[in-house]
Amino acid sequence: MIRSSEDIIIRTVSRVLVPFIQLFALYVIAHGHYSPGGGFQGGVILGASLVLLLITYGPRETRKHISEKSVTVFSSLGVLIYSGIGFICLLLLGNYLDYGKLSGLLHVAPAEARSLGILGIEIGVGITVMAIMFSIFFDISSGGKPPEDEKE
Amino acid sequence: MSTFFLVIGLGLCILVFFVLYRVVFGPGVFNRIAAISAIGTKTLIILLIMGFVYGRVEMFVDISLVYALLNFIGVLAASKFLEMEKEL
Repeated sequence: MIRSSEDIIIRTVSRVLVPFIQLFALYVIAHGHYSPGGGFQGGVILGASLVLLLITYGPRETRKHISEKSVTVFSSLGVLIYSGIGFICLLLLGNYLDYGKLSGLLHVAPAEARSLGILGIEIGVGITVMAIMFSIFFDISSGGKPPEDEKE
Repeated sequence: MSTFFLVIGLGLCILVFFVLYRVVFGPGVFNRIAAISAIGTKTLIILLIMGFVYGRVEMFVDISLVYALLNFIGVLAASKFLEMEKEL
């Protein structure tokens, strides 16, 4: 069981660092097609910020920020965004994930529609990866016990 | 200038092996954790130097920033794991 850390250096550093890590993760997701990175990498960095929160402040404090229910909702929401964009392309008489067909819906040129479609896909992937990464770490560190048993 | 950075990078690559000795044979766990952290820092600098060699620093800065963050979190997690081990 991970306990919250009393060390003032770790607490202060992680409190200062967590917003910057999340901002950087958003940058990695948004610039996935120009620089290294993308949905998966940005999602892993977002998940790492939550893992840092869990390591420093313990499971109970972290659950206030991101609850079991929101982890489940986020992990399904990303898949929904991904497959939703794919199916919209299918409904617009294209192939699955054929972003060029989105140009009529978004009122932009086909090339720009492809760029926006890939951005949407990466946002979906990032949300799912963040939730799953955090969920895996939380479940392993708590030994698979339900959260009610952690109050000791 | 590229040769200068290449030589510095190769020197740092060789220095990593000295620290790796401390990881493998180091007495105690704390030496190993400190040595792993040092290797992470060296890798970060090597990545930046590779960026200078390839002439694309702005790309490698992103990678090394992520590397620094994950190195910090990894060392913290390893220390936390040791703390838990003591309780068991």
